[in-house]
Amino acid sequence: MEKKSIFLFIQERVIEISFNNFLVVLLISGMILTQGCDNFVEVDLPSSQLTQSGVFEDKATANAAMVSIYAKMRDSGILSGNLSGLSNQMGNYSDELVYYGDISGTTRDFYNNAILPSNTEVFNSWSSSYNQIYAANAIIEAVSASSALGLKDKNQLTAEALFVRSLLHFYLLNLYGDIPYITTTEYQKNRAAKKMPCAELYSYIIKDLELAVTLLPEEYVSSDRIRPNKSVAMALLARAYLYNRQWAEAANAASYLLNNTQTYTWQTNLSDMFLKESTTTIWQFKPRVDGQNTQEGETFIFTAGPPSLVALSTNLINAFEPGDQRKEYWIAKVTTGTDTWYHANKYKQRSNTSGSLEYSIVFRLAEQYLIRSEARAEQGDLAGAKEDLDKIRHTAGLAGTTALSQSQMLKAILQERRVEFFTEYGHRFFDLKRANHLDESLSPLKTGWDTTDKLLPLPESELILNPNLKPQNPGY
Amino acid sequence: MKIFSLSKGLVLLWYPFIFGFYLFCTPTLARNTLQFSSVQQQQQIRVTGIVTDGVVPLSGVIISIKNQRNTVVTDFDGKYNITVSFSDILIFTYIGYKTIEIPVARHLTINVQMQEDATALQEVKINAGYYSVKESQRTGSISKISSKDIEKQPVTNVLAAMQGRMAGVSITQNTGVSGGNFDIQIRGQNSLRSNGNRPLYIIDGVPYSSDSGGSDLTGIVLQGSTSPLNSINPGDIEGIEVLKDADATAIYGSRGANGVVLITTKKGKAGKTQFTANVSGGLAKVTRLMDLMNTEHYLQMRRQAFVNDGIAYGPTDYDVNGTWDQNRYTNWQKVLIGGTSEINDVQASLSGGSSGTQFLLNGNFHKETTVFPGDYNYRKGNLLANMNHESENKKFQVNFSMGYTAQQNNQPGMDITQQGILLAPNAPALYDQKGNLNWENSTWNNPISSLEGEYISRTNDLFANGLLSYKITPGLITKTSFGFTDTRFNDSRTQPSTIYDPAYEVGSEFSSIYVNNTTRKSWIIEPQLSWSKKIGKGKAEILIGSTFQQQNATQLVQEANGFSSNSLIYNLSSAFNVFDLVHSESVYRYQAFFGRVNFSWNERYILNFTGRRDGSSRFGPGRQFATFGAIGTAWLFSNEKFIKENFDFLSFGKFRASYGTTGNDQIGDYQFLNTYEATGNNYGGVIGLEPIRLFNPNFGWEINKKLELAIETGFFKDRIFITVGWYSNRSSNQLVGIPLPATTGFNSIQANLEATVENRGIELTLRTVNFQRQSFNWTSNFNLTIARNKLLSFPDLEGSTYQNQFVIGEPLNIKKVYHYTGINAQTGVYQFEDYNADGLITAVEDKQVIRDLNPKYFGGLQNTITYKKWQLDFLFQFVKQLNYSGSYGTGLPGTMTNQPVTVTDHWQNPGDIASHQKYSTGVNSQAVDAFYKYYASDAMITDASYVRLKNLSLSYTISEQVLKGVKCRLVFQGQNLFTFTSFKGADPESRFTTALPPLKVFTTGLQFTF
Repeated sequence: MEKKSIFLFIQERVIEISFNNFLVVLLISGMILTQGCDNFVEVDLPSSQLTQSGVFEDKATANAAMVSIYAKMRDSGILSGNLSGLSNQMGNYSDELVYYGDISGTTRDFYNNAILPSNTEVFNSWSSSYNQIYAANAIIEAVSASSALGLKDKNQLTAEALFVRSLLHFYLLNLYGDIPYITTTEYQKNRAAKKMPCAELYSYIIKDLELAVTLLPEEYVSSDRIRPNKSVAMALLARAYLYNRQWAEAANAASYLLNNTQTYTWQTNLSDMFLKESTTTIWQFKPRVDGQNTQEGETFIFTAGPPSLVALSTNLINAFEPGDQRKEYWIAKVTTGTDTWYHANKYKQRSNTSGSLEYSIVFRLAEQYLIRSEARAEQGDLAGAKEDLDKIRHTAGLAGTTALSQSQMLKAILQERRVEFFTEYGHRFFDLKRANHLDESLSPLKTGWDTTDKLLPLPESELILNPNLKPQNPGY
Repeated sequence: MKIFSLSKGLVLLWYPFIFGFYLFCTPTLARNTLQFSSVQQQQQIRVTGIVTDGVVPLSGVIISIKNQRNTVVTDFDGKYNITVSFSDILIFTYIGYKTIEIPVARHLTINVQMQEDATALQEVKINAGYYSVKESQRTGSISKISSKDIEKQPVTNVLAAMQGRMAGVSITQNTGVSGGNFDIQIRGQNSLRSNGNRPLYIIDGVPYSSDSGGSDLTGIVLQGSTSPLNSINPGDIEGIEVLKDADATAIYGSRGANGVVLITTKKGKAGKTQFTANVSGGLAKVTRLMDLMNTEHYLQMRRQAFVNDGIAYGPTDYDVNGTWDQNRYTNWQKVLIGGTSEINDVQASLSGGSSGTQFLLNGNFHKETTVFPGDYNYRKGNLLANMNHESENKKFQVNFSMGYTAQQNNQPGMDITQQGILLAPNAPALYDQKGNLNWENSTWNNPISSLEGEYISRTNDLFANGLLSYKITPGLITKTSFGFTDTRFNDSRTQPSTIYDPAYEVGSEFSSIYVNNTTRKSWIIEPQLSWSKKIGKGKAEILIGSTFQQQNATQLVQEANGFSSNSLIYNLSSAFNVFDLVHSESVYRYQAFFGRVNFSWNERYILNFTGRRDGSSRFGPGRQFATFGAIGTAWLFSNEKFIKENFDFLSFGKFRASYGTTGNDQIGDYQFLNTYEATGNNYGGVIGLEPIRLFNPNFGWEINKKLELAIETGFFKDRIFITVGWYSNRSSNQLVGIPLPATTGFNSIQANLEATVENRGIELTLRTVNFQRQSFNWTSNFNLTIARNKLLSFPDLEGSTYQNQFVIGEPLNIKKVYHYTGINAQTGVYQFEDYNADGLITAVEDKQVIRDLNPKYFGGLQNTITYKKWQLDFLFQFVKQLNYSGSYGTGLPGTMTNQPVTVTDHWQNPGDIASHQKYSTGVNSQAVDAFYKYYASDAMITDASYVRLKNLSLSYTISEQVLKGVKCRLVFQGQNLFTFTSFKGADPESRFTTALPPLKVFTTGLQFTF
């Protein structure tokens, strides 16, 4: 080699030099040494990362991938209790909340019925949900490819991921209307995903949930009801059937939970209903650190007026019947001078306590009663409907319903859902929409309310990036 | 807690160096004065003297006798002695200075004061990185500024010192907050990735990361990031060369696509040990404020908005419903950002040595306060030590430099510039009568409360490099350079509960802090071998070398909240929650072989080949290596006989041309892997793992092909010197995060896109020596860049995710916007062109107007005038460009935000012609919708061209006699002094209305040397 001979030549000369041999040798050897590194530019994986296949070769890391989705749902996106969550956004959009916050806040546009396709919250709700769906799909795919996980773990993880996937699609469908149902991680397919009509979406949601129900165990895999079991998937299935007007299936699914009084014991003490130990809780998010409480508490509770963010609307306050104990236990009053405001007080902790007292509850047993009540009423079983409805009313300290006809019963159930589920995951808005009561209820309250406002706009950037999502929802 | 221990540290650091150099320097004395026999001729005498530049002795001045071969050189005290006869004429020559001829004529002592020659720049050696080349002989395109230009500017960041001085280099300051970042583009935007256009910074041969190392969560006040170049003291810099074309950059291969910035620090000089100190102080204020409505106009607008919307004042409309004093007026911009920043700066330098060994010690301390109300400041101290040694036989050389910089930046947690613009002019007083923050019964967010949050950053940089070289034979040199950098950056932003209204009763359990810790260590070894030989009239030079480089970086970003007391906010262990938001480590390895072959013939024809084979760990297996290369040629036609004979006014003439390829690997580490990362997010006792990206293992280098043609001509002994260059660069194989719809789960995927971006332009530099007299000199430097950026091709752009962002045949930095057609005279809202005539104004179909936000042309005009002991320098910088108007971001006129005064011209009644639509409080969805479309229309993009007196420096030298051997100079310097523009916003340079405009700075200083 040409280079080698030059080095030899240099080295020969070096011997003659009396001046500081050491440095020269260092210099030359530096040159020669560094010729020998073949794989110099190949680097190891950093200690903070694992390859996908590595994650799913081990039960513990596979589990960590799964719970990461729950942590994400809890902390950001539509199911979180912060500003971006449905409880706040849709509470403002419907008739539950009055907005007092920042003039430039995107929530203000929800409150003012001035949502544009470019609204950042419209995009964030969409993108955070699909990001969580991606993670769920990645689990479904990687679990099925894994050779190291046992069948039991495979079933558990797959079913939880299916549940997550259907839950998010369920909310997206109810917010945005026709959307794509994403079942793969392949970006080449997903970047051109096509919209599906609502009926088809429901069939996918129900199919996923039915599979999840068969794969999930009866028992919770961890304490505190923080990871889905069969009943959790069933609770969502009951809701999906109800929204899809499959009354008999809805009633049956709800009965599955309501009959399991061993695990889901009805309790009549309203002030305990939202504690983390509540036996009416079906599924809840555990806070990040022990001692933390719910984000809902941080968002809704204020101690002095005017409110810094939102207060309950007088409309909602007036909707409670006289003697309704929920108004006493679940709502708090703040008076400054002559002005009075109300805030949701279901979750009573606004900040940390020594040991968490409350978790964010996603599914409650009360909903299953009202699902069955509604499903029964729709099927003409008014006595059965009344029985379930009165269960809720009695707990609230109210007399049994006086509704006699089917339409009266359905109206009574809608009213009951309003005062039972206020500021919980947008129930009010979705109920009004299902009952075709949106225009009637919101037109008097919202400037420029239009029937087309029952859907949020699809995010503007999504239509640009994926023309298959066109056309934009009507009215935007 | 906040005691800054820099000065202590500095003193400690000085000791070993001073001691070390003491050992080094003492035994050496001048040995380089060549002496000649004095007995050969009759009437021989010995002449002695000292040569100075008027200030300091000049060593190395060559003194020859006309028509004889004898020469001597001045020693390090500038002294010489030479034996001559009375009739001889002495010739004094020194590079960069005018040659002087003096007849001996019986003088036994001849002291000479050399004068700088502004026209002798062709002889200056230009640093091209791995080699240096005489200015007249270079084949590549290289711009240079020297310490003389930098010293005249009261700036803390070297990028600020480069603004307006270099053709082809566009630099924009992001914020006026101390420590903020700059955008730099050398010959335009090559990469579709907005963060893939940074040049390669090389400091004394060692690559310096262009990543800021900050976090979006902490550095909000700095618009997200600090400038990595803050760590270099401009006073330590000897020169900056910017390599632009293929000939100059191809030797940097995969990292040369966006140009290379070579920074050379000062080196010790032989001669008398010299101490220089420079003490200066000054003031700074923001350049411009926006013209906003006063209370009268504002309240008129608000009231009108309620009338228009047909609604009554709501309970929260405090400004108009009588809650706030309606006669109150505050100029919030003045209150919040109208303060004066105080600047103090001390530089001290000690240098000297013999012809064999030289040393330099530079120390600097700088402090500046802010224009915000409150006690904030930026402090920086640094030390540079340099040692050079050459063996007695001149074969072995060693150079070593080490720099250490410590910075502490203490700023508000967020920039309150925007609050100064948006706050209602009748908003309440900041403080109540007791001097406490006034919350006016919870009706407003007191802007001063945001200042309760603090941003603190601490940066410590250690930087060392060495070069060992050995001359094996006169033509064959082997050398190895070593470099090491160690950067520790730590910043934090607090949000104590005191930023909230106390009525909300939020205590320290709601206080939070974001902390970012970044460390970066890198080393580099570059063994090289160079050979040169003269063969007849020709000369050949060959260089080969290789590079091994590794960078290890770590970053930890934490959020902590829930403190038992706000005074413990910096103690994470007293926080209720501590979350690790980012915890990353990365290793980047880089390996290369490079070479250069240069032939020149008869100082007329030059051919230069450069090449590099690069490997980078940022690419997947099989994609790590690529080869880059360039050819450059030059023809010095002024050396041709027929030109010399026929065009004697032409003192210099050169054509040069170059073509070659470079690459770009600025994509971050590990992007080719399909990985899960720990989120630090706890759920039920398990820390989550999440997929971090859509992965693609197959991406490779971005390729940039550069072509340049240039002509350099000097007239009348180079008193007029013109360089005109034309370049055309094409970047392809674009490495981009291709935007994806969110239905894919992510926003983008990393891939090579077969798109081509072209940057073309003309660069003109003109240097004229207008006057050159003994006591009066005037030189001018002018540079102009006319550039055009163009997307040449983009396969399937229509169907791609970029279809709304780019247009083939148009620049990258465009905005597709609605065309604003005026206000509907009947409804009073903005109207837009409905291009597809479907009755709707929709984003994709109707955003058809294209606005180019790149500067059309830019440049600078610098003048240097010296008159006796006075020197005046001034630089005008100019930019012709479009940008978002100042009213972008002020919100819907009629809502509770203040507006530019121009908004008073608005529609009121049917038939009105006005520049702004009818006011609305935000409930008129038609007006809101039209307003947001107006934001996305061509009406918002206005002329933002400006001419700025960028720099002014006036100095006066006090004669040495007055202060007995101490040379003293008084200096006045100013930066960003005047701005001439028709732009309606605050400052035309800052592109964000949320950012503090750049500051205008005035300093006065005293410099003394002995």
